[in-house]
Amino acid sequence: MSADKFKVVNTRVLKMDALGLACGEPVFTDDKDFNGLLYGRLLWSPCAHARIKKIDVRAAEEAPGVKAVLTWREVPRVPHTTAGQGYPEPSPYDSFVLDNKVRFVGDRVAAVAAETPEAAEAALKLIKVEFEPLPAVFDPFEALKDGAPVIHDEKDAKNIPDAAHNIAAKFEFEVKNGEWFKDADFVVENTYRMPYLQHCAIEPHTVITYFDNFGRLVIRTSTQVPFHVRRIVAQALKIPVKKIRVVKPRIGGGFGSKQEVLLEDITAALSLRTGKPVKIEYTRRETFVSSRTRHPAAVRLKTGVKKDGTITDAEMDIVLNTGAYGSHALTVMMCSGSHTIPMYKVRNNIKFLGRSVYTNLPVAGAYRGYGATQGFFAWESQMDIMAGKIGMDPVEFRKRNYIKLGEGSPVFKAMGEGREGVEQVITSIGLYEGIEKGLEAIDWYAKKEKYRDQKGPVRRGLGMACLMQGSGIPEVDMASATIKMNEDGSFNLLTGAADLGTGSDTILAQIAAEVLGVTAGDFVVRSADTDLTPFDVGAYASSTTFISGNAVKKTAEKVREMIIAVAAGILDREKESLRLEAGKVIARDGASCSLSEVANTSLYYSDQHQIIASASHYAHTSPPPFAAHFADIEVDTETGKIKILDYVACVDCGTAINPEMAEGQNDGAVLNGIGHTLSEEMEFSANGTPLNAGFRRYKIFSTADTPPMRTILIPTYEPNGPFGAKSVSEIGINGPLPAVANALYNAVGVRLTDSPFTPDKVLAALKNKE
Amino acid sequence: MNNIKYCSFPETPKAALAALLDRRAEAMAVAGGTLVAKTLPDSVTHFVGLKKLPYRHIVKRGGDLVIGALASFDDIDRSRLTRGWAGGVLSMAAARCSSQLIRNMATIGGNIARPHSFNIFPAVLEGLDAGLRIISRSGIRTVPFSAVYLPDFRLKPGRDCVILEIIIPGKTRNWLCRFEKFARTETSWEAYFSLFMAAGVKAGVVREARVAVGALSPKPFRALSAEKFLRGRALSSASAAEAALELERDLDQLRAGDFRKEAAAALFGRFISSLSGERPGVKR
Amino acid sequence: MKKNYSRLEASGGFFEITLLVNGTKREFRVKNGEFLLDALRRYGYKSVKKGCDTGDCGSCTVIVDGKPSLACLIPAFSAHGSAVTTVEGLGTMRAPHPLQTAFVEAGAVQCGFCIPGMILSAKALLDEVPDPSEEEIRKYLDGNLCRCTGYVKQIQAVKAAAKKKRGGKEA
Repeated sequence: MSADKFKVVNTRVLKMDALGLACGEPVFTDDKDFNGLLYGRLLWSPCAHARIKKIDVRAAEEAPGVKAVLTWREVPRVPHTTAGQGYPEPSPYDSFVLDNKVRFVGDRVAAVAAETPEAAEAALKLIKVEFEPLPAVFDPFEALKDGAPVIHDEKDAKNIPDAAHNIAAKFEFEVKNGEWFKDADFVVENTYRMPYLQHCAIEPHTVITYFDNFGRLVIRTSTQVPFHVRRIVAQALKIPVKKIRVVKPRIGGGFGSKQEVLLEDITAALSLRTGKPVKIEYTRRETFVSSRTRHPAAVRLKTGVKKDGTITDAEMDIVLNTGAYGSHALTVMMCSGSHTIPMYKVRNNIKFLGRSVYTNLPVAGAYRGYGATQGFFAWESQMDIMAGKIGMDPVEFRKRNYIKLGEGSPVFKAMGEGREGVEQVITSIGLYEGIEKGLEAIDWYAKKEKYRDQKGPVRRGLGMACLMQGSGIPEVDMASATIKMNEDGSFNLLTGAADLGTGSDTILAQIAAEVLGVTAGDFVVRSADTDLTPFDVGAYASSTTFISGNAVKKTAEKVREMIIAVAAGILDREKESLRLEAGKVIARDGASCSLSEVANTSLYYSDQHQIIASASHYAHTSPPPFAAHFADIEVDTETGKIKILDYVACVDCGTAINPEMAEGQNDGAVLNGIGHTLSEEMEFSANGTPLNAGFRRYKIFSTADTPPMRTILIPTYEPNGPFGAKSVSEIGINGPLPAVANALYNAVGVRLTDSPFTPDKVLAALKNKE
Repeated sequence: MNNIKYCSFPETPKAALAALLDRRAEAMAVAGGTLVAKTLPDSVTHFVGLKKLPYRHIVKRGGDLVIGALASFDDIDRSRLTRGWAGGVLSMAAARCSSQLIRNMATIGGNIARPHSFNIFPAVLEGLDAGLRIISRSGIRTVPFSAVYLPDFRLKPGRDCVILEIIIPGKTRNWLCRFEKFARTETSWEAYFSLFMAAGVKAGVVREARVAVGALSPKPFRALSAEKFLRGRALSSASAAEAALELERDLDQLRAGDFRKEAAAALFGRFISSLSGERPGVKR
Repeated sequence: MKKNYSRLEASGGFFEITLLVNGTKREFRVKNGEFLLDALRRYGYKSVKKGCDTGDCGSCTVIVDGKPSLACLIPAFSAHGSAVTTVEGLGTMRAPHPLQTAFVEAGAVQCGFCIPGMILSAKALLDEVPDPSEEEIRKYLDGNLCRCTGYVKQIQAVKAAAKKKRGGKEA
């Protein structure tokens, strides 16, 4: 089946909510007013590591307008994880709604609900806390040592592999085929480092909890994972799941920071205490410090290479700083290997050793790329280094060593995301085509020739990086959908999938429309409401198009069968001779009836029933999208400034259900990656206080910084995906760091292994070279 | 801001001053408000908004360039007068301020009223020997900009006096100037450093030289050794390199650190090279 | 000392101010410590967003007296007497402004949180510069941060709107 037979999928369809958003429709969490709303505020720890010896809230409780003050004494103590993952979550249960210990500057101490934001703020100042400071540790390598402060010394935490050494997660995997590095002509070993990075979704985390007319708790939240929120809040507050409804309005971006139960539990606790609606809205500073971040990492990669271009051995040792709590500690760490190593053909030995380590710093969690970002910085930088050692062209070297169609990797089975993976082979791969297209688009060979002989302080260089990711977590992620039919031949599509601005509502409608022979506009989509829509794990792991899409396709196919059954009666034809097209049911001999006639017949005329179906889907494979990135840069050797002159990102996501939206996703991911490369890093004082927790000093790129960038979609057909689709939203963010690192080396012979590549680092490296 | 009781919009300088000096309330004058709006002292009870003062002009007066204190960064960026004066350096500097939205709101007066390392114009005005026309209890007078940040300048702009105009002396009109703001991103408020560089050149010899460094401290810093070296110097590629070294010496005094020193010196050297008609940067 | 300046006085910490919002005269009662962003949202203009509250993200952009400005940095009382435009005043779903249509058609709207501010900045640009270069568009929109789109399709949207506007098809 090929893409040019499609009527709705892979065509230009405007995003359904775009016009409303452009007109300022009030559709975000905070855009709805509630009568009697109380404002919640959290008291944060000023200490990196301390016990709360005493906490006196009487003055705060008595302050004007204050309706509730919560400390660790007033809330249930249930160890849980805040990570929005499938149950049982592959993360340590090391978090508490409120605790009598604080583990980083910005950890929760107490919560207040008051009639005005000012009253809440004033009440916070009246809470008297006596801390017993404990020694703190900020470097994961220090935290691993014997005698380091133990951050999680509580007896009731669960699933912490080695709390005494602050290890929140560890994993080891080895394929052994003889003596290590025996066949290598060269052995390359480097450590690649990434700092704390923040998602910077423009909408800060916001939650409103209230009681509906049946006394049920409703959580209106900017979340990527409504069903996980419901379950985890139920667990943490000890209330039954049936008493909770989670509703996701429009979200102003998430990128992983909203794949987490960050505020819903405490806001709900305040509502339960007061009986009133409560809103907690993070300030930008709180989003930086007290939400989630990327895992800072040190990746030590040791590889062996032969003169003929074979990679003989690979040893990947990653230490992630997971911050004060271990959400996503295991899974991000495993993805750094499971989403990278399979890309490479390693002849003899492979070893992966991963540890996620607690420190008294902000909590790391899910962030677009999810470990593959850190992993590919190492791998794709090292590919260029190895090619250089053996004197082979880096493009040639790559083409020889990447996985091909039909091939598998021992890593697929050994390493999943949080547990064993599944064996799989590559069933679609546009990587090689992407490489060729990208080389052409950036004019690689002509420029390389031109750059061969440069003089003057400003030098140019080219670099590339290739990537894979995943499409959902195989045999873990599940999605489901319900479709019902209306009189006019339109349909309601109920899906648990969480559209966080990614446009999943639209593409899921496109998939259903393709099956049912209508347009996407014939669907009324309701998503991510735990009362009304069936289950979906939520928006993460690049799973929505692939998994939710397949669930929607299956559901639509069931509905199609029901429509055909009714139409067979109307038209008096055999079911096998009927097809759905352009809003009608058409028989082979041309007889037809409209979908509206089918609907009315089924609803009103005879054998009355509602045409409605549900279906679920989980996958046995996770077919990776692939990408090839190319950077053309200019380096000023006297100031150290790097300027990207051109950036091309070719991405294979199978069939792009909505090409324009897929491009948009990739553009955003690439620019985010470029920001990581040239500008972004969180800074801390010696005692763990964040120094640049705001947009004033943590600079993400504006229109004025954005280099010329192009996304080129490389169509392939993934047989396991809905109409050949794979997923696309994460992969783009992983390319810029290695591509620019390689271009930098090409331009000035300097290899940076420590992001971001700020001018001072470049200049220092240039000096060291001399 | 939680103690503000009064808000005035004076329409003349005298009225603005009267509002500030009115003893019944502690007053503060606010122009664009961008940096100041969130950090108004709690003791202030009278907000004196200057948006109605008719001081947004950019004109020539008696050979000098006169900029009203309420001219916004955007006004200065676009004005043909400032673009054509001293190599357009005032417009260049205005364009480098933060983002368009800030440039729309922030004023030159507000940018110089209080020392702050984010401020763009102090280094420029210092370098252009600018004067300020100020109204205070003693009436309207003109003071050199460089005097305003000195400890013996008794007045506090925005509290007991109002800056009305910035006067750029006519002698600077044909100076060759450049403004560099070296920062991590284009819209950063902070910077590794900013550099105002100016030279009056006649027959291949530098008659006047000004080098002012910003962003490293709340007040701008004049690189006096670099200036001294250049004054009277004939331009050549050797003199560019040596001038850059002099700037490094100046920056050592500021304890700017190796990176800032070297990068600033490199940009300075290129500026000096460009004065003699050589193409900056790339020598083939 | 003569008092010839117009003056507002707060009562119990509140100011009564008059604004012209999207062409309609409105009376706002605002707390002295309140900024225009919060006041506008309280009075129903939910398109004005709070992304950072420090003037660094542009999602609170409104047009004040003709200039795109940051509502989070304007003390509400100091906006007394000003004309304010929010995106609700530009167009509605029934009758969208050409810029709104352009953004939709270019695929420039992902999560949508930055869009109202971005559209207002773009409108002010096109009002003044009918044929902006890419560089001018980038400079003019550099205060409106977006983390979703990479700005690629947003710049295309502004170019398309400018072209259409020059074609005289819409005002």
